[in-house]
Amino acid sequence: MKRLAMIAATSAAALTASPLHAEPLKIGIIESLSGAQTSTGRLYANAVKYGVDRINEAGGFNGEPVVVTEYDNAGGAPDAADKFRNAVADGVDIIFQGASSAIAGQLTEDVRKHNLRNPGDEVIFINLGGEAMELTGEKCQFYHFRYTTTAPMRVNALVGAMKESGDLGTKVYSINQNYSWGQDMQAAAAAAAADGGYTVVDEVLHDVNKIQDFAPFVARISSAAPDTVFTGNWSNDLLLLMKAAGDAGLDVTFATAFLDQPGNIANAGKTAIGHYIANNYDNAATDGKFAEDYKTATGHYPIFVEGHSAFALGALQQALGTVDFGGGDIDVTKIALALENTTYETPLGPVSVRKEDHQTIRPVVVSKVVENPKYPADETNMGFETVKVIAGEDAIYPVQDSCKMERPAE
Amino acid sequence: MMTMRNLLLLAVALALLVIVPPFLGLGWQNMLVNVLIASLFALAFNLLIGQAGLLSFGHAAYFGVGAFAALHLMRAIEGGLPFPTPLVPLAGAAAGLLIGLIAGYFATMRSGVYFALVTLAIAELFHSLAPQLEGVFGGESGISSMRMPWNGIVFGSMLEVYYLTLAWVLVCGLALWAYTRTPFGRLTLALRDNEQRVRFLGYSAHTAKVIIFTVSAMLTAVAGSLQAISIETANYSLFASNVSAQVVLQTFVGGSTVFFGPVIGATAFTLFSFLVSDLTRSWVFYQGLIFVLVMLYVPTGIGGVIQHHIHNRRQLDWRNMAGHYVLAFVGALLLTAGVVFLTETVAVLFGEDYAMVRHNAEGGLPPFELFGASWNPTGLLTWLLPIVLLIGGGALLIRARRRISTIWDRKGPSNATATEPLLAGGAK
Repeated sequence: MKRLAMIAATSAAALTASPLHAEPLKIGIIESLSGAQTSTGRLYANAVKYGVDRINEAGGFNGEPVVVTEYDNAGGAPDAADKFRNAVADGVDIIFQGASSAIAGQLTEDVRKHNLRNPGDEVIFINLGGEAMELTGEKCQFYHFRYTTTAPMRVNALVGAMKESGDLGTKVYSINQNYSWGQDMQAAAAAAAADGGYTVVDEVLHDVNKIQDFAPFVARISSAAPDTVFTGNWSNDLLLLMKAAGDAGLDVTFATAFLDQPGNIANAGKTAIGHYIANNYDNAATDGKFAEDYKTATGHYPIFVEGHSAFALGALQQALGTVDFGGGDIDVTKIALALENTTYETPLGPVSVRKEDHQTIRPVVVSKVVENPKYPADETNMGFETVKVIAGEDAIYPVQDSCKMERPAE
Repeated sequence: MMTMRNLLLLAVALALLVIVPPFLGLGWQNMLVNVLIASLFALAFNLLIGQAGLLSFGHAAYFGVGAFAALHLMRAIEGGLPFPTPLVPLAGAAAGLLIGLIAGYFATMRSGVYFALVTLAIAELFHSLAPQLEGVFGGESGISSMRMPWNGIVFGSMLEVYYLTLAWVLVCGLALWAYTRTPFGRLTLALRDNEQRVRFLGYSAHTAKVIIFTVSAMLTAVAGSLQAISIETANYSLFASNVSAQVVLQTFVGGSTVFFGPVIGATAFTLFSFLVSDLTRSWVFYQGLIFVLVMLYVPTGIGGVIQHHIHNRRQLDWRNMAGHYVLAFVGALLLTAGVVFLTETVAVLFGEDYAMVRHNAEGGLPPFELFGASWNPTGLLTWLLPIVLLIGGGALLIRARRRISTIWDRKGPSNATATEPLLAGGAK
C-alpha cells in the first residue's frame, strides 16, 4: 500500500508541477452551452471571446496571452456550482456568466465562499446578464461586478423616452413572469408611476414559460383598456403574449425588455411594429464603428447581449492596463480594485462601477420596432430605431439598503 | 454469500477510496464527491426498480427535499444552533422519510406505468410549487448556507467534504446491501416477480411497497443533503425532470439487476461528464447514444454483463475467447472513432466559427482544424476516413460477436441466476 501511495503521490506531483514562466490571466466562461438556454449562452460566450481576442491582440496581460476556458453549466445552478469548482481547480481568475439570474446567484455565492476560505487566491465574478436586484442587494459582495442593467433602469428609461415621444399614455398595465425578475419589473413599473404621470390599472404575475395560450390574459388586459403594457417577459412568454394581443386586435403599446432576443421579431411579424424596448445596447444607437469591427471579427453584427458583454471585456482590458504584476503572481484583488476605478467609454457613453454595490452606471437605449431600419433583425425588413439614449447618471437608481459590502483591507 | 475474495476486493476498494484522494487535484476530488453522491442516489433509486420492480420517474422530488432540509438545518447551525455539521444529512433523511411516506402511500396504490406517472406528477408538483414558496425554497435563486466548523474540522476544503460524503455513502450503501439480505428484502424481490402471490401468502402488498418506497426516498434524500453540504446551495432546479431522468439512465446503464450496477452507471456517467462535457458540445448526444446502445444490446447493463461473466467464468473457454474479445474491443474502438469523427466534423462544419471562416472565404469551403490536423471539407480523405472506420469497426465487431456467441452457445445452458442477463455479444 505504501508503494501505491508513492505512485499516487508522484503522479499527482507530476500533474501539478508547472513550468517556470509568467502566470497567464485565466478567464472562465460558465455558461449554458447545452440545454434550453444554449442560444443565449452561446452569445455571451461569443462576446467574451471577442473581447479576449482584443486583449490578446494588444499583447495579452502579464506577458502572456489571456487564456479562456468554456464550462458548460447545462442551464442549471447545481451544475454551475460543479463547474465553478472545476474552474477553480484549473486556476481561473475571472469568471463570466450571463444567462439566468439563478445561476448568477449561485456563482456569486460560490465566489464569496471561495474567497473567504482561500484568502490570497481570490476569484472575480463578472455578471453579464443576471439582473435580479438581490445580486447587488442582499447578495452584494466585493468580487461581484454587474455589467448590465436592472429592472428599474430599464423601466425608468422606457417611461422617460415614451413620455417624451407621447406613446406612454396615462393608463399602464403590468404583466410579468412570477419570479424575482418579473417581480422586480412589476415593482419598478409601480414605482415610476408618479414620475411618468400614469396609473397602473392592473398587475399580473404568471407562471414562467408554461403558458401556451395568452388569450385569457389578453382579455383581462383588454377589459382594463390600458395605453401601454409593461412586461419583462422573455422568450416564449413574450412572443405568445404579443401574438395573442395581435390576434385580439388589442391597440396597446408594449414596453419590453427582451424584444431583441434572436427570433422574436421574425416570429412576431408585423405585430411587433411600434413596440418599445429598453436595453443595454443597440447598433442603431451608435455610429456603427463598433458594430462593423465586431462583424469583421465574428461575421455578424452584435445582436442581443453581445454588444454590452463585449463592453464589459473592454472595461476589463482598460482596468488590466492600470495594473502590472511584472510577469509574477496575479493578485486578483488588485484587478478588482482597478475595475472599480475604471470608466470605460462605450459608443453609447461611459460605463463605470458604483463602488457601494458594484452595479455599473451605464447608458440605457430605448428603441422602437420599425420597418426598414438601418440594422434589420432576424433577416426580416423590421428592426429597431433608436428613440433615446438615456445617460448613465440619469438611468441609475439609489443603492439598495440591503447591500452591506465587505471590502478587502487595502 | 460474501466470500473471502469478495471481502478482500471490497477492502481494497475501500482503502483506495480513503488513501488516494489527498493526492488528487481539486477537480478530481470534486468529481469523486459527485460520483459518491450519484452512486448513493442510484442505489436508493434501484431499491425501487431493481428490487421491487417499481419504476419511479420522479425521484428528483426526494433528492431535492433532502437538499433543502439539509440547507435549512445548516442555516440554523450558522445562526448558532449547536448541531454537529457531519450529522446534517439526518435532517435530509427525516424529511425524505416524511415526504416519501406521504408520496409513497399514494403512488404505490398502483403499479407499472400508473405508478411511474404518479411519481412523475409528484416531482412536477414540487418543481412548479418550489419557485412560488419563497419562504421554504427561496424562490428561483434558492437558498444557500455555509458549512460550519465542528470539533476543529473546518469543512472548508474539498477533501473534508469528500471524507464526510464517503462516510455517509458507505454507511447508507452497506445498510442498503444488508437490507436486501433480510427477510423483508426477500419479500421485496417477491413483489417484483409476482405481486399477486405475495398477497395470497397473506402479506399486505401495499404496506410493503409503502415501506420500500419510504426507505428509497429517505436514502435519496440523504444523497440530496450530501449534495447540499457539498455545494452549499439548492434551488428549485433540483426538482427538474432531468434530475429524475439522469438517475434512471445511470441505473439502467449500470444494470438494475445487480446490486452494484447503479454504482457502475453513476460512476461512468459522472466521469464521462467530467471528462467530456468541456471538450465537446456534443457530449449530451454521446451520452444519449451510449444509453440507447446499452438498452438495445445489453439490456442488463454493464453490471449485468460483468456478473454474467463472473458467474460463468469456470465453464468458459477463456483461452479461445480472449482473442475474440480483444477483436471486439478493437472493433468497438474503431466504430467509436468513426462516430466521434463524423459528429465533430458535422459540429465544426455547421458551427458559428466555421460560418465565420466561410464568410471570410466568400462562401468557399476552406479547410478546418480537428484533432490536431487540417481537413478539407471537400477532400476524399475527410469522408473516407470515418467511413472506413465505421465499416471496418462494424465488420470487426459483428464478426467477433458471432464467434463469441458460438462459444457461449457451445457452453450449454447457463447456470446463472433466474434473471438471465444477456451478453454483450447477444448470446441468445
